[in-house]
Amino acid sequence: MTDASVSPAARLRQRLLAPHDAAALAVLRIAFGLMVTVSATRFLAYGWVDRLYVEPRFHFKYWAFSWVPALPAGWIHGLFVLLGGLGLAVALGLFYRVAMALLVLTFAWLQLMDVSNYLNHYYLVTLLGALLVVVPAHRTWSLDAWRNPAIASATVPAWCSYLLRFQVATVYLCAGLAKLNGDWLLHAQPLGIWLSSRTSVPVIGPWLDQPWVAFVAAWAGFLFDTTIVLFLSLRRTRAVAYGVVLLFHALTSLLFPIGMFPVIMTTAALVFFSPSWPRTLLARLRRRPAPIPAPSPATPTTPSRLYHPALALAALYCLSQLALPLRAHLYGGNISWHEQGMRLSWRVMTREKNGSVTFIVLDPHSQPPREWHIPPSRYLTRLQEREMAVQPDLILQLAHRIARDFARDGRPGVSVFADARVSLNGRPAATFIDPSADLAHLDDGLGPKPWILPAPDGPPIRLRPLLATGR
Amino acid sequence: MKCVTRLAIFSVVLIACTSCQAKEAIRQPSDASVVLPPDDAGGDASETPGFSRGDLLAAFGACALDRAQDFLTRSGTLETALAALVASPGDGNRDSARAALRAAFASWQESEVLQLGPAAPVSVAGGQDLRDQIYSWPLVSRCAVEETLVSQGYAQPGFAGAVVNRRGLAALEVLLFHDGADTACGPTSVIVSSGSWAALDDSERAARRRAYALAAAADVRARATTLVAAWSPGQGDFLRTLASAGPGNPTYPTTQSALNAVSDALFYVEAISKDLKLAPAIGLRDCDVAPCPALLESQYAALNKAHLAANLRGFRRIVEGCGAGYGGLGLDDLLVAVGGGTVAASLRTRALAAEAALAAIVQPDLAAALAADPQSVRAVYDAFKALSDVMKTDLVSVLDLELPASVEGDND
Repeated sequence: MTDASVSPAARLRQRLLAPHDAAALAVLRIAFGLMVTVSATRFLAYGWVDRLYVEPRFHFKYWAFSWVPALPAGWIHGLFVLLGGLGLAVALGLFYRVAMALLVLTFAWLQLMDVSNYLNHYYLVTLLGALLVVVPAHRTWSLDAWRNPAIASATVPAWCSYLLRFQVATVYLCAGLAKLNGDWLLHAQPLGIWLSSRTSVPVIGPWLDQPWVAFVAAWAGFLFDTTIVLFLSLRRTRAVAYGVVLLFHALTSLLFPIGMFPVIMTTAALVFFSPSWPRTLLARLRRRPAPIPAPSPATPTTPSRLYHPALALAALYCLSQLALPLRAHLYGGNISWHEQGMRLSWRVMTREKNGSVTFIVLDPHSQPPREWHIPPSRYLTRLQEREMAVQPDLILQLAHRIARDFARDGRPGVSVFADARVSLNGRPAATFIDPSADLAHLDDGLGPKPWILPAPDGPPIRLRPLLATGR
Repeated sequence: MKCVTRLAIFSVVLIACTSCQAKEAIRQPSDASVVLPPDDAGGDASETPGFSRGDLLAAFGACALDRAQDFLTRSGTLETALAALVASPGDGNRDSARAALRAAFASWQESEVLQLGPAAPVSVAGGQDLRDQIYSWPLVSRCAVEETLVSQGYAQPGFAGAVVNRRGLAALEVLLFHDGADTACGPTSVIVSSGSWAALDDSERAARRRAYALAAAADVRARATTLVAAWSPGQGDFLRTLASAGPGNPTYPTTQSALNAVSDALFYVEAISKDLKLAPAIGLRDCDVAPCPALLESQYAALNKAHLAANLRGFRRIVEGCGAGYGGLGLDDLLVAVGGGTVAASLRTRALAAEAALAAIVQPDLAAALAADPQSVRAVYDAFKALSDVMKTDLVSVLDLELPASVEGDND
């Protein structure tokens, strides 16, 4: 049978089920598990568990996930300890599927407890974890394979690599597309603001408030995000591209407080390498030829009856991962301003936004009419307040909570308005929420929110360097 | 592969640079002289020809030290006046002591906005919690003071370690400005249930008040001495700690972290002046039937208006400059220098507007104003709100001011 006689569907099937070395997947599993353990340990050691999960008296809920309850302090600490243990189990490949599934559930639960803790890299960890539940990353270099040789295999189906590559590619490409705007490319903001405040960084610090540095960094970041997947995908450029990945994430780690994100991305980018790269590397270190893994019975090359449902599910997943980031554009306007569709969209570090919100409560039933000003600090930690002040759906949630509290205190039916002003990328602060919108009587949802006022016109701030030798 | 290896090594070295910071010697504040670029918006006739961030931080530190020294002088005067009152009770000495307390308050209320370093809570970088030791408002209790008066705890060796609401300027205000025979304590208080308060006759109560006030003033003066020492070169030298922010400085590892500390202190005008000193009394929060003058600061000396004015003076010393007429380096100079002249102008004009709103109140204190002209007090609140709106949006954005570093370790 010639290639020409093979149907596209069959060719796709052959390609998806072709045996790939399981080594790269095993390394990813080990690295992923260790990263989760380190992350959980950081949270416990630095007191972030208390600050982010225990201290808040009010928790912002994700739309459609308001049923996820906040847990008592002991439970939350316990979940982080559990997370650390599950990470180790995943790294060791011990009870892998169960451990990974529990890890994803635990991690997702913690994220769903409070929207104000949302970070793109937490979302990425959740997605990668979910994918790693599906892929058989424990077939090699794992305690499971050692305990149960029946599952051991030096190869895995090729779709495992493709799915992970798609996920990582989506992150980079969407992060790049999010930078395709005037503020980033024509005004180098918000990078200019951020770099200007980091002039005490050793060695490179004195240059960081030079406008040209911000422009170079903005364009380099844009080009990096939009092209790195291509260069990582091509065999000839892959090694150099990965070097650039290391350099890029090392620089961002040096300049910005982005925690584990650089480590996660430099690890995730390894999925673009040949599935045998760990064996090749080990062989080079040992100065021996790399062994070629043979497919084992555990790696089917012929489709099972689950092939088509699994293929449909994978396609659906991929489509959703494309649709979720793109949904933001359906709302029109400046996404960094109105934030609709901002989350789950890989719009990583694209805006410097600060707001001031005071909730104004009016009781139409009281005589004489009463007015209350509720500062968010009454309900929120400082970190929560900073997040809430620039995200309309969170403002709405707190307004609802305030209305409920007034009703509980014997004042039902109050109106709650937001006196909200926001500065985006250094622009003069502008009114953010329609001051006549009674938020207590508005519902949240996925539709456009007409009570968010349009973004201010005009360019972002243009900063100058502080012309001194000692910064 | 070699290329990747080289890049990888370079990247690792770059990351390592961050950890290398702690090993570098503490940098001295720069005395570099530079020329400021012309301002293009909201221009400020800056008095300073050129400066670095280190110079600016040094100016903030010098301002905090200057204000602490001023308060030390005034607290010494207060102690002297109270010693005279104890030695020779009479209206003249009482009035002198009251005047000395007013002067001490006027000075301290400026320093309230400078709560960075030693004055700040221990949870803050460099914090020694000295502020609460000197003035614990809103943690005040007349009942606690009266219990201490009855027990004569002020004469005990452990008085300096007593709960802060029994010491400090707030206790002094009660002791010097409230001389009634009534007590704020409820029937469950031991001084009421045992009858020990009622057993004190007027002269004994007055004598104890004077002695207690002298002990409290001595304690305040001792705290002020500690605060000055903590800032002073050759002693705690927090002045140098602030001015040398940057690599190698364990308290402020970056100039930005030091600038954040100053910014955090400035937010006093929002979190305390606006939200605690004004909003509740007006009836905008925590008040069942508006207005609620009982929630005003300075219930006995009726200095609440003066306190707010002093808060604004302290604010302006940081924003505009600490010298006479608010001359010298201030935050506005940095804003103007980096292109944020509009923000600098907004801060200045809104601080002036808040001062003007306060000055427009004809009554001697806010309690009287709330009774006679509540809108005038609301205007002060609105002016403070306008000021804090600029701080929370434009100021924070342009200078990229952040939350304390311990909270922002994971981000993207």
